[in-house]
Amino acid sequence: MTSPDSKPFFLWRHLNKLRWLSLSIVFLMLVLIPFLHLYQTYIAAHAYDLLYPSEKIIYDSMETLSAPFVSDPENDLDLLKGTTWSGRLFGLDLSDPLALAGQIAASGKVLWPFVLTALIPIGLTLLLGRFFCGWICPASFLYELNTTLGSWLRNIGLHTGQRRMSRKFKYLVLFVTLLLSPLLGSVAVAAIYPPAIVGREIYYAIALGGFGVGAVFFAGTLLFDLLVARRGFCRYLCPGGALYSLLGRFRLLRIQRVVEDCNDCAKCNAVCEFGLDPLRDGFGQECNNCTACIAVCPTDALVFKMTPKDQPDRGPGHLGRQYRRVHSENAGDSPGIEDGS
Amino acid sequence: MDRRKVIQRIALGVASLSAAGIPYGLSRLLAPDRLTTSKIHYLRPPGALSDTTAFNEACIGCGLCGEVCPPKSIRFSDREGGSRLNTPFIDPAKKGCILCGKCMEVCPTDALTEVDRKDVEMGIAQIDRTACYPWVDRGVCGACVVVCPLGEHAIGFDFANMYRPVVKKGCVGCGVCVEVCPHPSLPIRIAERGSSTVVVHQI
Repeated sequence: MTSPDSKPFFLWRHLNKLRWLSLSIVFLMLVLIPFLHLYQTYIAAHAYDLLYPSEKIIYDSMETLSAPFVSDPENDLDLLKGTTWSGRLFGLDLSDPLALAGQIAASGKVLWPFVLTALIPIGLTLLLGRFFCGWICPASFLYELNTTLGSWLRNIGLHTGQRRMSRKFKYLVLFVTLLLSPLLGSVAVAAIYPPAIVGREIYYAIALGGFGVGAVFFAGTLLFDLLVARRGFCRYLCPGGALYSLLGRFRLLRIQRVVEDCNDCAKCNAVCEFGLDPLRDGFGQECNNCTACIAVCPTDALVFKMTPKDQPDRGPGHLGRQYRRVHSENAGDSPGIEDGS
Repeated sequence: MDRRKVIQRIALGVASLSAAGIPYGLSRLLAPDRLTTSKIHYLRPPGALSDTTAFNEACIGCGLCGEVCPPKSIRFSDREGGSRLNTPFIDPAKKGCILCGKCMEVCPTDALTEVDRKDVEMGIAQIDRTACYPWVDRGVCGACVVVCPLGEHAIGFDFANMYRPVVKKGCVGCGVCVEVCPHPSLPIRIAERGSSTVVVHQI
């Protein structure tokens, strides 16, 4: 299938950097938007002369940032509002599919204008799978930094939690919270869904003067990831991740292992934030196409494919020691084109 | 799986669930529980569904209404230690609503439905005539009348004394008058419209 001349497209190795760029941009936007709102409130109050010096700094810097793009900041800046839970991106209303599911579960009614705002994310999830978790989620940004902190702690000899639990638990969390929503009379998922929490807590901290209750919960999940399981909340508990995994089950864009180029080094398994098994073709519905394994693969054996289903386990990689030992006994010199499992 | 293991699993699950509840309980203990203990009637933003249950079920807690509010009068019960999830409310004593309509326009779930500013039903203002300065003949004021965004349909002066404010039928309960009232014990309260209750003035 792959001859030595048809190397994978060279940019694919750098997609992981692009992903970090995307995560950082989303996070910075969540920080920027509350400052823009403060700027708008200062304008609305015609209050420049009454501002504290620190508020004047906010006013001036936001004016400098936004002046090239808007003529009437008090109203024009409303085109950029909200969080990843539900927001307005340059005038386009977007909502989290989980917000839609939670709202339908709570009220039992379908509100079509709200469904329309969730259509683009749902469509993208059907095509790309759980990409939100790896590419957009502001909580993911902090969780991955938390993973890095965990590896530093391990390097200096402290133990971090490495437990493995059942990944099916998060589907249970999803269904229980959706079922509880009508009983509690509110959209209960919003209270335990980290991206929604992070978005609004950043807003609270900047615009309303301090963190709220959700920050405590989020700090708890960070501790859970450090002390119990690496990236444990996303892997085992997150209701949003469960919903995206279900939506992305038959996604078109998948990462696949080219068995001829694989040398069984297992770096992909070590780097996978979601505890999947790329070494044995075990991607499944929970792969979020984050491309960390592509970036780390020394032989470029992981590539993107347009296919609705994963390939079955194709055995040890052809560049690996195990495969070569078996095949050198059989037919010494012929390089394996098909895998002989 | 034998029985002992099942019981162990269940016990572990219960233990981890209650452990997961500890941060929430701690935060509830630490947060000021103002919404549940105080008797002040907090307002929903304009255009909110009149049925409280329907509102709580429709609101996804995204906070967009607060993010577009020009005077930052919309605040969130999640942050202020309320019992409900992240639903918006207005405390007119801090900041009243200027009825600009941005929150109704931005709400993605129509928990805040767009209505004309004259048809907003947040409540109705009631003035305690035993505390209001002009009503007890302790000076002239009229701040509430001057600041009302709906003008003479909502609040005006008494016929006999031109500094004594009187609430009229057009009042929608935006609460700007509560915000500006100079009396320290806030003689103006926003009462629920139609409940025909007279607000008891507390000092």
